[in-house]
Amino acid sequence: METVKSIGIDAGSTTLKIVGVNEEGKILFSIVEDADPKVEEQTEHILNKLKENYDMESSKIVATGYGSNLIKADKKVTEITCHAKGIYEYFKTGGTAVDIGGQDNKVILISKNGKVIDFIMNDKCASGTGRFLENTAWRLKIPMEKMAELALNSDGEVKISSTCAVFAESEVISHLSRGQKLEHVIKGLHRAMVKRITSMIYTVGFNPPLMLSGGVAKNKAVVKMLEEELGEKPRIPENPQIMGAFGAALIGLSQ
Amino acid sequence: MLHVKIPTRKEVIEEEKSKGKRIAAVYPIHYPRELFRVFNIQPVEVWGPPKTDTKKANAHLQSYICSVVQSGLSFYLEGYLDIVDLIVVPHSCDSLQGLGSIFKDFIKPKQELVTIYLPREKNKENVEFLANELKRIYKQLSQLCGFEPDDEKLMEEIKTEEKIDKLVFKFYKSRENLPLSSREFYTILRSREYLPPDKFKSILEYALLHASKGKLKKTGIVLSGLLPEPMDILDVIDDMDAFVAIDDMACCMRRVYGEGHSSDPFERIAERIVNGPPDPTKGNSFDERFEFIKSLADLTSAKGVIFYNVKFCEPEYFYHPILKEKLSKAQIRSLIIENDINEPLPQQTITRIKAFIEMIRESS
Repeated sequence: METVKSIGIDAGSTTLKIVGVNEEGKILFSIVEDADPKVEEQTEHILNKLKENYDMESSKIVATGYGSNLIKADKKVTEITCHAKGIYEYFKTGGTAVDIGGQDNKVILISKNGKVIDFIMNDKCASGTGRFLENTAWRLKIPMEKMAELALNSDGEVKISSTCAVFAESEVISHLSRGQKLEHVIKGLHRAMVKRITSMIYTVGFNPPLMLSGGVAKNKAVVKMLEEELGEKPRIPENPQIMGAFGAALIGLSQ
Repeated sequence: MLHVKIPTRKEVIEEEKSKGKRIAAVYPIHYPRELFRVFNIQPVEVWGPPKTDTKKANAHLQSYICSVVQSGLSFYLEGYLDIVDLIVVPHSCDSLQGLGSIFKDFIKPKQELVTIYLPREKNKENVEFLANELKRIYKQLSQLCGFEPDDEKLMEEIKTEEKIDKLVFKFYKSRENLPLSSREFYTILRSREYLPPDKFKSILEYALLHASKGKLKKTGIVLSGLLPEPMDILDVIDDMDAFVAIDDMACCMRRVYGEGHSSDPFERIAERIVNGPPDPTKGNSFDERFEFIKSLADLTSAKGVIFYNVKFCEPEYFYHPILKEKLSKAQIRSLIIENDINEPLPQQTITRIKAFIEMIRESS
C-alpha cells in the first residue's frame, strides 16, 4: 500500500478535484467529479474509498476552492496560490498562468522562482468562463465536446458583441433566427470568450510562457484562439483540471 | 481584548437634543466640524448608511450613482432624518453635488439645507475661497440659530479639533500596540462621525491606555478608499492573520487635518481642510497621493495596499492605474476591489483579498 503524504482538495463551483501525492510530490491518484451541493459528504465518501488502496493515516489535507470552508482540512489556501504552485511545479517555469474554470477565470503572473507576482479574477460575473459556453450549448442542445469541434471546423465567424453569459445566449438565438450558420455563431461565441480572457491577461500584464489550467483548457478551439490572439502557443498540462488540487497537495508537503 | 462602550448614533442624537443642541445630518466628506459646534450644533455624519433599501432613491438617481449617495437619499426619503434640524451636503463629487441640488430644487426639505463648495488643490487662492465660503455658512447658521459667536469662541473649537486630530494620529501610530481587532479599531475611530469631541477624546484616551509594548505579529495592510463597509472586509483581513495597519480612507485618515497657522478662524479652518491629506475629491496630484500612501506604509509595517472602492466612485477610479504602477515600482503590492455598501461581500472578493494577503506574505 503506497503512502499518501499529502492530499489536495479543490472544491470548485462546478467540479470537485482531489489529488494525492507521495513525499516526492509525485501524483499517486487524481479524482475529478461534478461537485455535489453537499461537497463535504462527497469528499468524505471519496476519501474513505481511497483508504482501501492507499495509506492515508498521516496525510496532510489542504483544501482550496469556493467549497473549501466546508471541508475538514489541515490548511485552507486560496485557488490563486494553489494554481500558481501546481502550474509552476508542473512546468518548472514562471510566466502567465490562466485558469479557466466553470464560474471564474484567474490570470496569475508567476515569478521565476514560483511566487505569485500579481493576479486578476473575474468579479461577480460569469463572463468568459466555462459557464458562458455551457449555457449556450445547453440552449442549443449541442454536447459540450461538439462545441469546440464545430468552432474549429467553421469557415466563417459571426461577431458576438455580448460577453455576458445570459445576454450572449439571446444574441446567439437572434443570429440563428436571422439565418446565420450554427458553426459560424459557435465560433463567434468562442472568440468572444477568448477576447474576454485576453483582455484579463493584458490587464495584469502578459509575461510568456502562457500556461493553461482548468476544464476549459481541454477545449481545442479556445486554445487555438488564445494562440491567435496572443501570438503564443499555450502550454497545457496532461490533466489541466487538477492543477489547483495538485498545488494544494504540494503545499501540504511543506506543512 | 479591549471592550469599549460606544454609544450609537441614535443615543447621541437623543442625548444631545435633550441638552438643547441642534443636530446636523452631514453627508461626506470634508466639512468644518468646529463651525457647527460653535453654534451648538452636533454634526452626525451620514455615510450611506450601509444596508439601506435604496428603492426610493433609485427613482431619482441614475443607476451609475454610487451606493453611498443612493443610500443617503433613501435614508432621508424613508424619514430617518426627520429628527435632524439641518442637512449639510458638501460638494465632494458630482454625485454629492447632484444630491445637494435634488434636496434644494425638488425635495425642499423642512430642515435648513447647507451646501459647502470645496475648492480643489492646495494653494493660497483656494484657502481664501474656502474661508469666504465658511463665512457665508457662518451667516446662514447665525440666522438659523439667532446668535453670532465671536472669533475667540470659534478659535477655541478649532483648537479642540486640532488637538483631537493629533490624538487620532497618535491612535493610528499606536495601532500595532493595541489589543483591538480591525473592526474594533475602526468602530472607535469612526465614532468621531457623530460623537461630541469630549466623548470621542475620552474613548481614544481610554483605548490608548491599553497600548502595550509588544507589536502585533501580523501582516499589515493599508486600506484605501471611501469607507470600510460592509465591515466584513475587516474581518476577512483579520481572519488571514493580517490587520489594517493604517488607512487612506475618506471617512478616516483623509480627514485627519494638520494645524492651521492663521489667526483668522475662517482662514485657519480653510487651511486645515485645503492643506489636509491628499484626497481624490480634492484633485490632488498622482505624486501627492502616491507619496502619502507610501508614507503610510513606511510609517507602519504594512506590506500591501488594498484599494477598496465603492462602485461608481469616479474620483477614486481615476487614480487607480497610475497609483498601482507607482506602488509597484516602489515594491509595494496593491489590489483593487470594488464594493457596494449595501451588498454582502461576494465570495470572489473574499478570495481575492485572501489571495492578495497570501501573495504579499509569501513575497516578504
